[in-house]
Amino acid sequence: MNAPHTPAPGGCPMAAGQAEPLRRRSFLRGATLGATVGAAVGAGALAGAVTAAAEPGPGPSGRLIPFHGPHQAGITTPQQAAASFVAFTVIGRDRGGLLGLFQTLTDRIRALTAGGPVPATDLASPPSDSATLGPVLPADGLTVTVAVGASLFDGRYGLATRKPAKLVPMPVFPDDDLVGSRELHGDIMLQICADSRDTVMHALRDITRHTRGAMQASWKVDGFHAAPRPSGTPRNQLGFKDGIANPDVGDGSVADAVLWTHGGSSGEPAWVEGGSYQVVRIIRMLVEFWDRVSLHEQENMIGRRRDSGAPLDGTRESDPPDYHADPLGLLTPMNAHIRLANPRTQATANQQILRRAYNYERGLDLDGNLDVGLVFCCYQQDVARQFQAVQHRLAGEPLVDYISPTGGGYFFALPGVTGPDDHLGSALLA
Amino acid sequence: MPDPVLSEPRKSPARQGRWRGAGLAVLLLLGAAALTGSTQAPGEALPGGSLRVDAAGCGTPPAHLPAGRLSFAVTNGDKVFASIYVVSPDGSLAYAEIPWLGPNKTLPLATTLTGGDYAIRCVFSNGTVRTSRTVRVSGTATGAVAGYRPLSDLEMTGPVKAYRAYVTAAFPGLLAATRTLEADLTRGDLAAAKTDWLTAHLEYERLGAAYHSFGEYDDAINGMANGLPQGMDSPQWTGFFALEHGLWHGAPVSRLQQLGRRLVADIVNLRQDFPSEDTDPGDLSLRAHEILENALQFQLGGIADYGSGTTLATLSANIQGTQEDLSVLAPVLSPRDPELLSQLNQQLAAYSTEVTSHRSASGVWTPVTRLDASQRRRLDGDLGHLLEELAAVPNLLTPRNHA
Repeated sequence: MNAPHTPAPGGCPMAAGQAEPLRRRSFLRGATLGATVGAAVGAGALAGAVTAAAEPGPGPSGRLIPFHGPHQAGITTPQQAAASFVAFTVIGRDRGGLLGLFQTLTDRIRALTAGGPVPATDLASPPSDSATLGPVLPADGLTVTVAVGASLFDGRYGLATRKPAKLVPMPVFPDDDLVGSRELHGDIMLQICADSRDTVMHALRDITRHTRGAMQASWKVDGFHAAPRPSGTPRNQLGFKDGIANPDVGDGSVADAVLWTHGGSSGEPAWVEGGSYQVVRIIRMLVEFWDRVSLHEQENMIGRRRDSGAPLDGTRESDPPDYHADPLGLLTPMNAHIRLANPRTQATANQQILRRAYNYERGLDLDGNLDVGLVFCCYQQDVARQFQAVQHRLAGEPLVDYISPTGGGYFFALPGVTGPDDHLGSALLA
Repeated sequence: MPDPVLSEPRKSPARQGRWRGAGLAVLLLLGAAALTGSTQAPGEALPGGSLRVDAAGCGTPPAHLPAGRLSFAVTNGDKVFASIYVVSPDGSLAYAEIPWLGPNKTLPLATTLTGGDYAIRCVFSNGTVRTSRTVRVSGTATGAVAGYRPLSDLEMTGPVKAYRAYVTAAFPGLLAATRTLEADLTRGDLAAAKTDWLTAHLEYERLGAAYHSFGEYDDAINGMANGLPQGMDSPQWTGFFALEHGLWHGAPVSRLQQLGRRLVADIVNLRQDFPSEDTDPGDLSLRAHEILENALQFQLGGIADYGSGTTLATLSANIQGTQEDLSVLAPVLSPRDPELLSQLNQQLAAYSTEVTSHRSASGVWTPVTRLDASQRRRLDGDLGHLLEELAAVPNLLTPRNHA
């Protein structure tokens, strides 16, 4: 149950003179003053936390998801129970501030996902940790996935020529309800997922504390991953199993074809190797209305049986629908959601997206109706070729009367952090 | 004719009393943090061992320990309370503490130390001070805590005097500005009153560190409507915010005149009373971050805007109050962390410039409700960053007598 990622004692390279005790505040100060200093301090504090730990706590779930790798964790990672999607505006004054932000983010995510005892607090500081998870941080299946929005590539940080080729602000689709939305776009999107809600909350609180003055949160939506009812793929708030037909990204050739971006191909800059386009959409479900719709109509709109999740021409959720055998839509209507989204033709094979959606619930609207729905999230190699093509096909589908997309954005999940000396955005800012 | 406006304690933006009762809680929290920082994994005993301390000696720690996390289980064998520290052998620096250990009680003294010489120091509440033999820590540890020069409460005498002198010197200006406001109201010149209200209010807000020292006068002078039985309609609501609400919401002139008279009277009484009121030295260091914590919540958050849209002006005055607080603390702060002091001064000045950029050339402040999203995020984020830094001041300046 213990993860491979347990740094050897003293494994973190120390700069000369770094054995000198570090003042915790220097960490924060470094974040704006100068990137390298901040990073060195952060790494030092972190190494202390990890190496001092006899047993980094894997947490109740027993899952420690490695942080280092060619791709970020939290994309092909099986979905954890709890998630927060938090958009930020970068407010650092210059490129050095942005570099420091990415280094601090890296240090904090590395420490938080590894778990272990929190660092000692010196006499001149408030406690080094909020202790909401107790004195020893559980790893608890935590992943923090960092993505950047098109706005980061404006003039502020000299990155205009580095923009991923397909990264644009999320357009308004005809069925969207985005007028007046305060939950749109962002310079940075953090997808924080863990096996427990409080682990997600702890991670966000730690990260915002350490990055204050470098980025400021602008909107946030929380999600939960339902348990299978009673088995198979979990259900969304329409009562249907959602996310059945994901591409098999465990197959490297599939992942390379539909999930990861490749530097130098399709007009992409070299630095994007191993990244992925991320779409986040807050899709409210008008469940009171939905609950007044007959089961037959519900199933025809979705294209699956509600009880089993099977396609309308099948018996099990895993059965692939055979649209060739149903060219007129007698079994599965031509405008059923799953048929429009994935027609299962050769021409649309490379449009498949890796969905990683969460249910959300957050209070009431003015009419007293429930504000519940889906935090839709998907990853793909090319947002135009994949999500956007699918979304255009879905325009006007019967389901649109029962859902209301109210926010979200397009982002680009950065390539992974390859090791202790690497940091998020290293290739972008190189 | 007797003024119908009553005097009752009310919630002020300063959250009075939060810290006075919390003085002990702060100490307890520090203790908890020390404990938290080094709780070992189950089954894994940290180096250190047990120490029994009493008037005869401060225990017998191991002569040698490895660098890294360590924890002493300290038992107070004496009949009086004790404070226990990890210090440098000459006592010039303190690294970790148990702020308050009762007789026959045991608590962990835990931290992370890198290579060097250390000692345990016991300071008993009857004045007895004992220091253990030297503990040599060998090796290096990352994540080790830095040592800080402990503060004796006597060292705060100078800053308290300087702060009181600052307030005393500010009273005439505050009183004069308030009398100008009262005169406007008496004349029925509400346009002038709106302008002069802001001048007088900022004079008060600039005192910053004063909140707690002013006791219930602050409720009467600067209380918000929250916590009153009928909120903004409460007849007993007085002070700058009640006047602001009345001025910007068309209250009867007679009511405004009553409030003006009452405000002048409260400030006169405060000025007369101030020399006999004690200033808690601990308040000065807490105010270093509390003034702006309040400003983030009530001014940037807009809660304290009762119509004038001048909460950014208040924030600006609060920055000045914080700067004054830091300047009186400089003599005790500077020898402990000169870098922190200069960093704070620099950040406060930069933030002041940022806030002031939201005042037009003609002196009109932008209401926070009219900030665009990016302006607001920058103001919020920069203030948040400043507060993270300011939060070190009270910890650094916690009295640790004889540590």
